[in-house]
Amino acid sequence: MNRIATRELSMVIALVAIWAFFAWQEPVFLSSRNLSLLSVELAVTAVLALGMLVVLLPGQIDLSAGSGVGLAGAVAAVLVFWHGVPAPFALLLAAVGAVLVWSAMGALIAIERIPAFIMTLGGLLVFRGLHWLVIENQTVPVVEGGSENAYSLLTTYYLPPVAGYVLAGLTVATMAASTLNARARRRSYGFAVDDGELTFLKLFLLAQLVFLAVIVTNGYRGVPIALVILGFVAVLVYQLITHTPFGRYLYAVGGNEEAATVSGVPVRPTIIGAYALMGGIVALTGFMQTAYSGASTSTVGSLMELDAVAACVIGGTSLRGGRGSVLGVLFGALIMASLLNGMTLMAVSPEAKYIARGTVLALAVWLDLRMGQGGR
Amino acid sequence: MTTPVLEARGIVKRFGALTALDGVSFDLRAGEVHALCGENGAGKSTLIKLLAGVHPHGSYEGEILIDGRLAAFGSTRDAERAGIAIIHQELALFPEMSVGENLFLGALPRRRGRIDWDRVYAQAAATLADCGMALDPATRVGDLGVGHQQLIEIARAVARRPRVLVLDEPTAALAQHETGTLLALVRRLRDSGVACVFISHKLDEVFAVADRITVLRDGTAQGTLEAAATDAGEIIRRMVGRRIEDYYPRRQVEPGRPLLAVHGLTVAPPRAGGVQLQEVSLEARAGEVLGIGGLMGSGRSELLMHLLGLWGARRAGTVRLDGEDLVARSPREALARGLALVTEDRKRYGLIPEQGVAFNVSLSSLPALRRAALIDRNEEVRRVQAIVDDLRIKARDLEQAAGTLSGGNQQKVVLGKVLLTKPKVLLLDEPTRGIDVGAKLEVYELINRLTAAGQAIVLVSSELGELIGMADRIVMLCEGRVGGVFSRGEATQERLLAAAMGRLGRGRVRHGA
Repeated sequence: MNRIATRELSMVIALVAIWAFFAWQEPVFLSSRNLSLLSVELAVTAVLALGMLVVLLPGQIDLSAGSGVGLAGAVAAVLVFWHGVPAPFALLLAAVGAVLVWSAMGALIAIERIPAFIMTLGGLLVFRGLHWLVIENQTVPVVEGGSENAYSLLTTYYLPPVAGYVLAGLTVATMAASTLNARARRRSYGFAVDDGELTFLKLFLLAQLVFLAVIVTNGYRGVPIALVILGFVAVLVYQLITHTPFGRYLYAVGGNEEAATVSGVPVRPTIIGAYALMGGIVALTGFMQTAYSGASTSTVGSLMELDAVAACVIGGTSLRGGRGSVLGVLFGALIMASLLNGMTLMAVSPEAKYIARGTVLALAVWLDLRMGQGGR
Repeated sequence: MTTPVLEARGIVKRFGALTALDGVSFDLRAGEVHALCGENGAGKSTLIKLLAGVHPHGSYEGEILIDGRLAAFGSTRDAERAGIAIIHQELALFPEMSVGENLFLGALPRRRGRIDWDRVYAQAAATLADCGMALDPATRVGDLGVGHQQLIEIARAVARRPRVLVLDEPTAALAQHETGTLLALVRRLRDSGVACVFISHKLDEVFAVADRITVLRDGTAQGTLEAAATDAGEIIRRMVGRRIEDYYPRRQVEPGRPLLAVHGLTVAPPRAGGVQLQEVSLEARAGEVLGIGGLMGSGRSELLMHLLGLWGARRAGTVRLDGEDLVARSPREALARGLALVTEDRKRYGLIPEQGVAFNVSLSSLPALRRAALIDRNEEVRRVQAIVDDLRIKARDLEQAAGTLSGGNQQKVVLGKVLLTKPKVLLLDEPTRGIDVGAKLEVYELINRLTAAGQAIVLVSSELGELIGMADRIVMLCEGRVGGVFSRGEATQERLLAAAMGRLGRGRVRHGA
């Protein structure tokens, strides 16, 4: 318990340090406009990282995620811009395709026992090739210049200020209601519940964070829809991995696959399910990232799988499986997104950016291991 | 009287508020086997770790003397240099490497910077000969049986010419005839002047090999006895602090309808060369304990694994569960039908070690705990708590990582997981291996309660005493066939062993007194 607390605390400290550094170097870092942009970048990184978490928990990995992001965005863009398919329909089509392809990869990994590393490394190359094939090495916009559609709005739509506050209010109310509900149910079973004051404090802190985010983003153009999408994905993945049998199975397979099998855990469907979910998330991220770039180009999605893995690992996810949490991954993604955003603001060269990203990743794992030993 | 090779005086070792050893004294003479007995948590492993330098000098009170001189081990290296070699319960060999490499790993003889393989194998052959083993040092360790691997583990320690050899549960994974070979090796080493500390839960082994016995209980020494002048009852009484009148407290009940009926089962192994089950027939009725015994490689575990859908392709025969045909393709199907297995290797097949007690206990019952799509956490905690109370699982709370529990409690977590699924037939593969006497008794009592409630138990054990003591009927397997069936009254160790070896028995099999 103590170990986890130190870990979370050190992540908060790292984040504050990163923010303080960028704010000092580039005061515009903390402007509403930049924080709003950062929140969109966070949304893209974090959504993919949450998918990666679901794949890492059962001890697998998806190296093809970045290429998949490019390919899914490209397929949707080509359908919309070259073939005139209505945007919502194009997105749905590309998403269904991704789920099918990722399920197939999952099946090959779970049933044919191809190591996930190799299978998805192959996927990385194949999808990159398909991506370039699909866009014929051109730049394919997500929408006709000057207009908008469901695709382009993914990262350009902002909630009106009032709607932002209503959403924040609803979010806080839902959190409060579910907390109180859970307390009441625990009581009815005769279990101990948290001190009322503590519960209130936790809620109050969360409520403050939610409203702070709304106030800051309203200072620019309002709450980005991308952030709302991240919220939905985070709640969904959280519910899935902590409160459903499927989620328990993910942890069980990653923790000890043989014991899971003997315990009646459906190991293969669990792994295939994790990849199917990843397929959907890859497509969603692909749409968001491509929309954020404005068009599908040959570089969209490149290396995003590594940012996603980095966010997971920084957030305390074990690459061997069996350990990881949504909150940790969100934090890890925030650290990665903040680093990239801040370095772009400072006009750091791409070479240096790569070196910084790599160093942070290695450093995070090393610190995690060190702290892990200290706590034992 | 000569100075003891090793002496511990008034050792006190605390972990925070917990006192693991409370003034323990212990001495070891050259050329003797000194057994340490005690339940799990009595302080045996802590004492061993002190001797091995795992807990460095200064982290405990009291003195450790080597040849009468104060020893202050700062690390395990210091202890090794002083001639203390420890053989742990779990094998620490490299299966992909040869016997020779394993023996000298970390100290491979070199010539001009390169490993001198000729010398490695020559020295390995000499060491193996010392240990009375006729084995090619170039053999891949992974190709050896677990019994031979354990002997290699000892040979590796012997290769360093230790003065003190500590064997921590060396026979836990061995079949009875392999145990005999191992005990012979221990005697041989003793006769060559090595001082041995021998830790085992199996008292018959202790009496077969030990010269003196020291009993530990709750971190205090309960006396050191000459093995020749005491008996198992006395040792157990000191270990648990009370006399156990009936070591095997089986209470029989009138058996009901057959719950598990296996008829003419012939199963081919997944890989060529494995044991093949041939025309195995057996039956377990409601309220009955069916014992299954046999030597290593007799097909005991394979039979259970096949019933669960984990092993082999069925060629002929039927399995009926409560009157209905069962061809399980996975443990999931078997569990859904009411057939559950507790495997012998609980670390490998039983637990998700990083996860909590609640997670582990409820793992097999999650669909039943679902309300809409989500798991009902409160109901989960309520049911798990009931199991924890019922089985007296000792854990800090329900979130304590299962891997950090003691062996007996880990086994109870695995049992709890299976019981929560309310199976009709429970297959127990070596359920008491490596757990202490107190936890064993609790497992036996649990078996009594389950059969009284009308469940059928299939108990697989390599301890003949356990089969005779707990089973209502015993089926002995021999090379994949039924070698003999015995009722409770007919079974004796000699008869069971004869059946286990079948007509193909190659010479006598040694086993403890």
